[in-house]
Amino acid sequence: MCLGQTVETLGQGNVKNISVTASSNSSNGIRTLLRDGYLPNHNAASRFLSQATLGPKFAEIEEVTNQGIEAWLNSQLALPNSFSIENYIRSISQSIADSLNRTPQTTPYTVQNLNLSDWYFDVAWFQGSMTSPDRLRWRVALALSEIFVTSRNSDFDGNPYALASYYDVLLDHSFGNYRDLLESITYHPTMAVYLTFMNNHAQATVNGNLIFPDENYAREIMQLFSIGLYELNNDGTEKKDVNGNSIPTYNNNDIAELAKVFTGFSWHNAEYLGDRNENELDYTYPLKFFPIDSSDAIRRPWKSNPDITNGHQPGGKTFLGTTIGQGRTAEQGELDVQDALNVIFNHPNVGPFISRRLIQRLVTSNPSAAYINRVATIFNNNGNGVRGDLKAVVKGILLDPDARECCKGDEPYKGKLKEPFIRYMNLVNGLNLTSTTGVFRNRMNEVYDKMEQRPMESPTVFNFFQPDYIPDGDLKKAGKYAPEFQLLNSITLTGYLNALDEWLIDNDPIDYSSYFSGETVKDAQEPEFDFTADYLLAGNKNLPQLLDKYNMILAHGGISETNFNHIKKAIESMPDIYDADGDFNETNAERRIRLTIFLMMATPDYLINR
Amino acid sequence: MKRRDFIKNLGCGAMGSTTLFSTLASLGSMNGALANNKFADTDSSDYKAIVCILLSGGLDSYNLLIPAGTGGADNGFNEYLGLRTDLAVQNANLLNRFTNPVHVGVRGKSSAYQAFGAHPGMPEMSQLFNAGKLAYMANIGTLVEPLSNYTDYQNNEKKKPLGIYSHSDQQMQWQTSVPQSRDAIGMGGRLADLLHACNDNEELSMNISLAGKNLFQRGKNYAEYAISDNINANNVGFESLPSGWSNSGLLTELRNGAIDNMVSETYSNLLQKTFATTTRQSIAAFDSFKEALKKVPSFTTTFPNNNSLADDLSAISRVMSVRNELGAKRQIFFVDFGGWDMHDNLVSGLNERLPMVSAALKAFYDSTVELGISDKVTTFTISDFARTITSNGQGSDHGWGGNTMVMGGAVNGGKIYGAFPQMDIFTNPVNVSFRGNFIPAVSTDELYAELALWYGVSPADLCYALPNLGNFYSYSANNYPLGLMNMTGGVSTIDRPQNCLVY
Repeated sequence: MCLGQTVETLGQGNVKNISVTASSNSSNGIRTLLRDGYLPNHNAASRFLSQATLGPKFAEIEEVTNQGIEAWLNSQLALPNSFSIENYIRSISQSIADSLNRTPQTTPYTVQNLNLSDWYFDVAWFQGSMTSPDRLRWRVALALSEIFVTSRNSDFDGNPYALASYYDVLLDHSFGNYRDLLESITYHPTMAVYLTFMNNHAQATVNGNLIFPDENYAREIMQLFSIGLYELNNDGTEKKDVNGNSIPTYNNNDIAELAKVFTGFSWHNAEYLGDRNENELDYTYPLKFFPIDSSDAIRRPWKSNPDITNGHQPGGKTFLGTTIGQGRTAEQGELDVQDALNVIFNHPNVGPFISRRLIQRLVTSNPSAAYINRVATIFNNNGNGVRGDLKAVVKGILLDPDARECCKGDEPYKGKLKEPFIRYMNLVNGLNLTSTTGVFRNRMNEVYDKMEQRPMESPTVFNFFQPDYIPDGDLKKAGKYAPEFQLLNSITLTGYLNALDEWLIDNDPIDYSSYFSGETVKDAQEPEFDFTADYLLAGNKNLPQLLDKYNMILAHGGISETNFNHIKKAIESMPDIYDADGDFNETNAERRIRLTIFLMMATPDYLINR
Repeated sequence: MKRRDFIKNLGCGAMGSTTLFSTLASLGSMNGALANNKFADTDSSDYKAIVCILLSGGLDSYNLLIPAGTGGADNGFNEYLGLRTDLAVQNANLLNRFTNPVHVGVRGKSSAYQAFGAHPGMPEMSQLFNAGKLAYMANIGTLVEPLSNYTDYQNNEKKKPLGIYSHSDQQMQWQTSVPQSRDAIGMGGRLADLLHACNDNEELSMNISLAGKNLFQRGKNYAEYAISDNINANNVGFESLPSGWSNSGLLTELRNGAIDNMVSETYSNLLQKTFATTTRQSIAAFDSFKEALKKVPSFTTTFPNNNSLADDLSAISRVMSVRNELGAKRQIFFVDFGGWDMHDNLVSGLNERLPMVSAALKAFYDSTVELGISDKVTTFTISDFARTITSNGQGSDHGWGGNTMVMGGAVNGGKIYGAFPQMDIFTNPVNVSFRGNFIPAVSTDELYAELALWYGVSPADLCYALPNLGNFYSYSANNYPLGLMNMTGGVSTIDRPQNCLVY
C-alpha cells in the first residue's frame, strides 16, 4: 500500500493554492503534488516530518502543506542552534543553589559544588526538544548521537554536564562540517573518558614499567566514526580483492600507530598529564595538551631528579598508508591530531560509510546502492568543492527520490522500525503535549525502563542497535537489515505496550521529580494530554474521523483499512459518548480516544515507518 | 479464537522462518512421527541446562587464572609479574591457590606452568575448583583451524577469524563459533534447532535470555525468549486496563483481542511481518510463563545483593525450578555481565567486579544443589577476548586467546584444560604482537563440542552444531574433545533432521 503520495512529474515551479485534503488512506488522496515546488498533502507532509523531526505535530503538518517540503527544509537548515542543554542545566542548578542558600549554609551552594544527577540532562534534553524551533536539527543530532556514541553507561554515569556538553556539540554540528565535528568530539572530555584516551601517554617507562598508548579511540574512530572495517565503493558496497574477499581498511599495526597520535591530552585545568578532574563541570571544556609528562616533578617536588618523559609520542606514525608527524617534536603533537583527522576525513570510505548510517537513522534500513551513492557524492563534494558538508548531506538524504517517492516498486523491505524512543517522542508531539508555562520537567524514566532507550544511554559504543543487524525470519532470508529490531524482544515489546498504558491510558506522559527536598511541587511542569478537542469525534458516528486524524498525524495514513476496522470494532464495543438519556459522557469519550490511539500505536502499520 | 490456537494455526505460515515454537516439530509430535525423538516424558529427572555467561567488553582473563609458581622449575608467577608489571597481582600469596591442579593438554599442547590460583577476589572459585566442580580453560579463543605459531598466523593459506581485535566481531564469534563469517547463527540456537523437539512445550523457547536479543541463542528455527531478572507471575505480559474503568476485565480482553487480530494479519512488508511475528511469539510465550511462574518455590540459597549477575542467575534458578511446569527437558540460558573493557583502571576494576562474578557463580551453584540438579546444569563464561599482556599505563588493550571457567556437577573439575602460555612476549611462538597477544591453544569449538555431546547432540549432528569442528576433532567412541564433561551413560545416538552446516 502506498504511504505518502506518488510523485508525478507535472513540471517545475512553485505552484501554490492547490486544495489539499486529508484522507484516511493516502492512496485515495490527491496525487498532483511534487516535492520540488508542489505542495504535499497532509499525509505526505506527515510522512516527511516523520523523517525530519522527532515526531510530527499537527500544526507543523499544516505548515509543510502550505510551504512545501523544500521550503520548510531550507528554513529549518537556516535556523541557528537555539538551545544549549548545558546552559539549561546550569540555570536549573543556579536556581536550586539560590533556593537552598535562602537557608544560611556553612558553605553556600554553587553551580560548581552542587553535584547534580544525570537525569538533569534528560530534563534539559526534553525541554530543548519540545520548545526549540530548529526541529530538524534535533532529529539529526539524535541520529549523530547514535553514530558518534558516548554514553552515561561509563565513568561519567552520574554527570549531566558530561552528557549535555557532548550533546550540545552534536547539536552545534548537525548542519556543520563532518571534519569539524570529528575534531570537536576528539577534543571533548566526554569522548576522551568514554574511549579512554584521557591522560593517554606516549610509549615510555613509567615507574619502571614499560607502557604503551591506549588503543581504544584509535580503533573506534576508524571502525565506527569514519571508515569502517572494509574498503567501500562510493555506493556503500564492499570492494573485493581478486579472490572475491573483502579488503580490510586497517590492521592492528595501523591502530597501534594511530594510538600514538591521541597521547598527551588531559582536563582543561589539569596541572599535569595524569591529573584528575575537580568537578562535574570540567567535562564542559575542551582537552588540554601536555607534550611533556612532568607529573613526577609536580607531584614530588622534593625529588632532585624527577622523571620527565614525553606525554605525546613524538616522530612519525604510519597508518592507512600515510605517514604523519615525521621529524616533529612532542611539543608539535597537536599538528599530529590535525594530520590524523585529515587522513581519516579524506579516506574515500567516509562518504558512503557516514551516508549509509545517516540514511538508516532518518529514512530507511535498506537504502539502495544508488541512494547511498547519491548522498555520498554530496558528502564528497557539496557542489561548491566542500567535502563533509552535513547540511548538504541532510538535505540530500531527505529530498532524495528514494526518501520522497514512496510507491515506486514499494519494496517489501522498505522503511524502518521506529526506534522505541522515537515512538515516545511521536506520542508527545503528535498529541501536542503543551505546558502552560512553557516549562517541562521530564526525567523520561519510563521510556528507558520499559524499552531500554534514551539519549546518551547506549549500553556500549556500538549503539542500542547496529547498522548491520538482521533479524531472523523473512528479513534474514531476503538478506535485509533492520537495525532497530535488535532492541525488540519479549521484554521491550510488552514494555512498549505497558509504557503506552502509562502514558496514554493513565494519561501520565511525564516523569516529574523534585529538584531538592522541600521544593514546592510545580504541577504545570508535569502536563497531561488534553483530548477535549477530540471529544465529539469519539462517538460511534464520528469515529472514522478520529481514526483519520491520528492515522494522519502518527502514521501518515499508513494504517491499513483492515487494521482500521479492527480498531474501530474494538472501540465501538465500548460505551458510547452519549448515555441512554442522550447526555454527553466525558469519561467515555476520554477512554475511547485514549484506547484508539493506544491501538493505533500497537499496529505494525504505525511501527514500521515506510 | 484463543491466542494459543491462532498461534498454532498461524505457525504453518511461519514455517521456515524463525519461530519460537517450531510448527514442524509440534505437528510431528502430534502425529507421532517424531515421537521417538522425545526424551522419556515420564522421566522428570531427564533435564539438562546450559548457562552461558558473556562477560562482555573483553575480560583481562590473564588475571582470572594466574600462574602461582615462585621458583625452581615453576617460576610462573614471577614471569607473570615481570611481564604484566603494574597490571599484575603483586604478590603470589594473595592468590587463591589451587590444590594440585591437574593439567589436561589439547592436541599435543600443554600449559607452561604447574601451579595456579584464582584472582585474589575469587575465593569461591578455588573452593569449587578444589571440590571438583569447576574447571578452567587455558588460552581458549576463536579459531577456524589450528594455528601453531606466528608463521601460521602470517600464512595467508591458513583461515583466521575476522576482526580479531574488534569487540563486535569477537563477541559475535564466541557466540557463533564460526569466526570466518559474519552471517552465522549462534551455537545455542543450533543446539535448539537440533533438540527443541525434546521439550513438551513447543510454544516456549528452549533458549531463555536475561540479556535481550543475542546471537548465541539464535538458530535457524529458534531464537531467544527474553525475560527480566525480576520475573514473576505478576509482571509478565500486558498490563490490564485500570480497574476503575467499567468492565475493565472485558475491555482488557477486547484490547488484547484487537492486538491479536492486528498482529495476525498478513503483511507484505517484511519489516511489518517481522514485527507482527515477534509480537505473536511473545504473547504465546508469556502466557505459558505466567502460569508456570506461580509455582516457583522459595529458596534457602541466598544470592548476593547489588550484583546484577547474581540477579540474573537467581532468575534462572527460579525458571529452572518450574522446568516441569514449563515442559522443559532441555534449556539454554544466556546472561550478559559487562563492564570489562578496562583500558583504564584495570586493577581496581577487576578487584571490584571479579568478586561479584565469584560470589554470584557460587550462589548459583548452591541453588542448583538445592534444586537437586547440580549435575544437570553446566555454566560457562565467555568474553570477547583476553587483553594485551602488557600495560598501557592504566589498563590493557584488546587481545585474543584467554581463560574461561566451566562450572557444574557434571564437569570433570579441579582441572585446567588447554595450554596456558609462557609469560613471555619475545620467545613465546604463539605471541603475535609486541603488546602480548596469544594465538588460542583451544578453539571455542572444542569446548562447545563437549557441551553439545553432554547436552544430547549425537556425534553425527556435531557438524550442524559446530561447522568448523572437523578442523580440530573427530568423534570416536570414548574419545572426547577435551574430557571436560562427565559422559557417563554415553552420548545420544539419535540423529536429528538437520544437514551439516558449511560456511
